[in-house]
This record gives sequence, C-alpha cells and structure tokens, in this order.
Amino acid sequence: MKPFRIIPFLLLENRRLVKTIHYRNPRYIGDPINAVRIFNEKEVDELALLDINAATAGINYEHIRKIVSEAFMPIAYGGGVQRLEDIRTLFQIGIEKVVIGTAAVESPELVSQASARFGSQSIVVSVDVKTDLWGNRRVFYANARRKLKEDAVAFAQRMVALGAGEIILNDVDREGSMKGMDLPLIRSMSQALAVPLVASGGAGSLGDLLDAWQSGGAHAVSAGSLFVYKGPLRAVLINYPQDSAVQAALSKRA
Amino acid sequence: MPSASFQRCRRCVMDTSDPEIVFDSDGVCNHCHFHDQIRSRYILPAGEREKALEQRIRRVKAEGRGKKYDCIIGLSGGVDSSYIALKVKELGLRPLAVHMDGGWNSELAVSNIENIVDRLGIDLFTNVVEWDEMRDLQLSFFRSGVPNCDIPQDHAIIAVLLKAANAFGVRTIVRGLNIATESVLPQAWGYSAIDLRHIKAIHKKYGQVKLKTFPTCSILELAYYYAFKKITYYDILNNLEYDKDKAKELITAELGWRDYGGKHHESLFTKFFQSYYLVKKFGFDKRLAHYSSLVLAGSMTRDQALVALEKPPYDDDRMHLELNFVANKMEIEVVELERIIASPPRRHTEFPSYKSLLFSDWATRIRKFLK
Repeated sequence: MKPFRIIPFLLLENRRLVKTIHYRNPRYIGDPINAVRIFNEKEVDELALLDINAATAGINYEHIRKIVSEAFMPIAYGGGVQRLEDIRTLFQIGIEKVVIGTAAVESPELVSQASARFGSQSIVVSVDVKTDLWGNRRVFYANARRKLKEDAVAFAQRMVALGAGEIILNDVDREGSMKGMDLPLIRSMSQALAVPLVASGGAGSLGDLLDAWQSGGAHAVSAGSLFVYKGPLRAVLINYPQDSAVQAALSKRA
Repeated sequence: MPSASFQRCRRCVMDTSDPEIVFDSDGVCNHCHFHDQIRSRYILPAGEREKALEQRIRRVKAEGRGKKYDCIIGLSGGVDSSYIALKVKELGLRPLAVHMDGGWNSELAVSNIENIVDRLGIDLFTNVVEWDEMRDLQLSFFRSGVPNCDIPQDHAIIAVLLKAANAFGVRTIVRGLNIATESVLPQAWGYSAIDLRHIKAIHKKYGQVKLKTFPTCSILELAYYYAFKKITYYDILNNLEYDKDKAKELITAELGWRDYGGKHHESLFTKFFQSYYLVKKFGFDKRLAHYSSLVLAGSMTRDQALVALEKPPYDDDRMHLELNFVANKMEIEVVELERIIASPPRRHTEFPSYKSLLFSDWATRIRKFLK
C-alpha cells in the first residue's frame, strides 16, 4: 500500500474528457468511460472528476451515473454544485465525495448544511489559488474569474470550521504546467489545517507528488497531466504508478 | 460451417466459408496460389534479404538527416508493432511512434505502449479521435450490414500515420503488413479501409453525428502524400525473420510486453468484431485466414491449425458480457446490437465506393467514348 493517496484529476466538458492548462484551452483526451476502465485495471486509489462546464450547463447526472457505474474506486465530483439537493442526488448516484467550489465562497452555509446532513468526511471544499494582477497569490472562484480578499489559508480554515472534511488546494497558476508544485504554499496550508489536504496543480513527475507529501505535508496528492500525458509531445496515454514503483521511489529517497 | 458443399483446402485451412474460394484439381485453394506468387515477389532468399534491409535502412537514415525523426512507426501495443519498435531501434533508426486512440484501448494495450516508449526511449505522438464521431461511424457500419466494420478504425490509423509523417517531415512509415502472418485474407470478407467515398456513403446513410475532426484521407490527399511529399511505406517484417511466437518471447523479455490473447485484440472493438460479430453474422472466422497464413509461412503445421480450430472462436459464457460491454460503450441497447447481428448481411459493393465510381455506368460510357 502507498503511504498516501494519489488521485488522478479528470476534467469533463460535455461528456468528453479534456485537459487544460491554467484551466484554459481544453484539449480533447478521450472518452471518460474508457479512461475509468483503464484506471480500474491500474488499481487507482480514488478519482476526482471536475466538470468545467457544469456551472453554466448544469450537472449531467445521467452521465456521471454511467461513469460511477463503471468505476471500481471511490469518486469525488466537483463542478456546478450549488444546492443541498445537488449534493443529495450526487450521493444517490454513487459519488463518494462532493467538491464545493464557487458555492463555498458565495454561500458558505451550504458547506455547513451539507456537512451536518451528509457527514463532513464526504464534503470537500476546493481552494483555487491564482496570482492576481498585483502578483499576489489569492483565492479565486467562479472559474478563476473572481477574486477573494481573504488569505488562502484563512479561507481554508474558515471552511473547515464550517464543516469541510477535506480541502483540495488547486494551484491554477501551475495547473497543466507539469513544472512542479508550490511546496511552501502546500506546507503552510497543511500545517494550518486539522483535516486532510489534497494538493493539486503542477505535478510533472512521481517525485513532485512525493515532495508534496513528504515536504509539503499533504495527505493526498492529485494530478491531471501527469496521468494522461506521456513524453515531450504530450501524447495521450493513461498511466498510473504501481505501488511497487512508489515504494521504490520512496526507498531511494530514504 | 459444414454443409453439403463444404470443402477445405488441402494445403492451408481455408474453406468454403469464403464464398469466392476456388480449388484446383489437387484441392488446393486460390489463397495458396496467391501466397506463392507474392511470396516469391516479396520475400527474398537469405543473404539477399539482409542486404535489402541494410540498403533500405541506410536510405531511411539518409532521408532523416537533419531531422528529429527518421521514420514513423504505428504503435498499437500489439505484437507486430511492438516487435517493429524494438527492431527499428536495434537498427539504429530514430522512430517517432504514432498511436491512434479510437476509444477502445484496453489497459493492456496502454501499458504495453507505455513500457515500449519508456524502455526504448521513443517519442510518442497520439491522435485521440472524438469518441462521439468514432462511435457514430462504427454504428453506421454495423447498421449498414457490411462485413468490414473495422474500416473506421483502420482508416483513421492510415490517415493519422500519413498526417504525422507530413507534419514531422518524415518520409518513411514503417509498417507491420507481412506475408509471414497475414498473406491470406479473402476479398469477400472485407473491403479496403482506404476508400473514403465508401466510408462517407455509409455514414451519410446511417450516421447521425457530423464528422468534424475524424481523421480522414481522400484519394487526392493520398496522391499528395505519395507523389508530392514522397512518403512511402516500408513493410519491414518481410525483410526480417518473423515468427510470431519468437517475437512474443522477445518483446516480453525486452519490453515487459504482456499478451492479450488473440490477433489484433489490443482494441476491444476489434476483438468483439473479429471473434464474434464476423462469425455470428457472416460465418467468417478470421482465425481461418490467420492460421492459413501461418501454415503457408511454415510457422504452424496444418494439423496444429486444425486442432486450434476445434476450439470455438469465442467463449459462449463470456459473450453476453462482451455484448453488454460493446452495446454500453456504443450507447445502444443490447437488443439493438442483437438485432443488428441478426439482420441480413450486405455486401460492400451495394454501397458507393471509389471502385464503384471506376466501374459506374458513366465511367464505362466515358471509357467507350475515349476508345
């Protein structure tokens, strides 16, 4: 067993699997059902699905149900989650954890209500961090278009106080770059939080994931490009490290 | 399918399930004669073969000078393409591996490809076909009732390889076509995948989704690539010692390759199509052609082939799972897929094609006029 969770982060756009860079310019990378089947065989710990279109088009429950019915692993879903009713429906169709993003900023009571109703372990709040025009790293929401004044760590702490059972830290600046993760930010957040932190954005190698866990203190790490791309030409090829590869990389570091 | 007029070739294992099979007075079929013809043309005697290989490799290297890659290789994760990847590296070429992802990759195929490019240090380029378009085109072929429903995938592969060669300025596409394992293929069982007119005609009649990004290659593009860009194929396996079992052993040891069962079963669609659909709907068992090729190449005896054919082409118990899987994947009900399989077979010639264009009424009239 791996000592920490490694979660492929998949983006959906209209039933298609896509990959973005800084959440922009989605490139088609395949049929989500087939991707999930391949991840099944690779014995993936957990999957995170984010529908980048759901905020405007609504949540496509039927399609999510199909994906969930093919998946052997627990799935966290995010995108367009606005009401308690949405969360209930997602759990009904087999989603394990629901990720609340924009709604956590705009109507934080949703986090406390959902956590009271369904249990905090299944409610995740996504903290999207991006550099603003003044060069400061801030929390953004509404598809990274709107900025929050509050500090990222303070915001995450407030969400945990409301009942979030897990925080996913999304580094929008590094998303899709494969250039490495922001370890100081991950560290400052993991030290300040009493709940598990999932670090996401920028991973370009297994080493980056190990860094986020070992020196960043994240409980889990998540990556998109790393698990769907191969080589310098960014060929689409689903991959996932075997337990043995993780252990080997760890013992090399020790 | 034994019947009153059932007959099996006495040299290979082809039989009258090929409606166009012809036997000579010794009971040897036309496929055997065809094999002998092309074999003497394409397979050189020992000594000459090595020389031909060396010459060709030297030429490919010369053409690749100053470029990042010498040649394109298609990479599906199957035996042929994996073996070629190993061989071209051994020969000192700098290949670019190209993969067409039609939405049916098995985990085995994907991990084989990963192992190959990692261990050999080959760059990989992929073209992922929009699933909605592939699905609609494959469904169109199913609904049309023609035998070769693998044309959509095969055409996309041809188009993607040529486009990649063109984009990366590469002139040689090293290909897996070979006489050792695929010299026998009855015409009646299929139709060429290159024919874009045929594909469009079938899609127009039975398709619903517009093909916007599906990789295609028309006759004009083909002519442009061949004549103007001087892109050529190199069927390298004909210049190498190619024995499937030995090749499998080698790639398993060298590349961590894993076996997935049957020929071309790296695509879950092809697996279903060849081992179930063709057998059930048309009575065509592709293993006949495959084993016959092996028998003629001397890498299997006729008796071994007959024993292997005793086994059913598909596992009856597992088949409802596969049917469910394919129907689900294609977003149709299982009963509809069963209806498609039960509906009457049609011939490729019932639909427009470049071939029908060539032999159409007005073409005949023009030909007469020109005379």
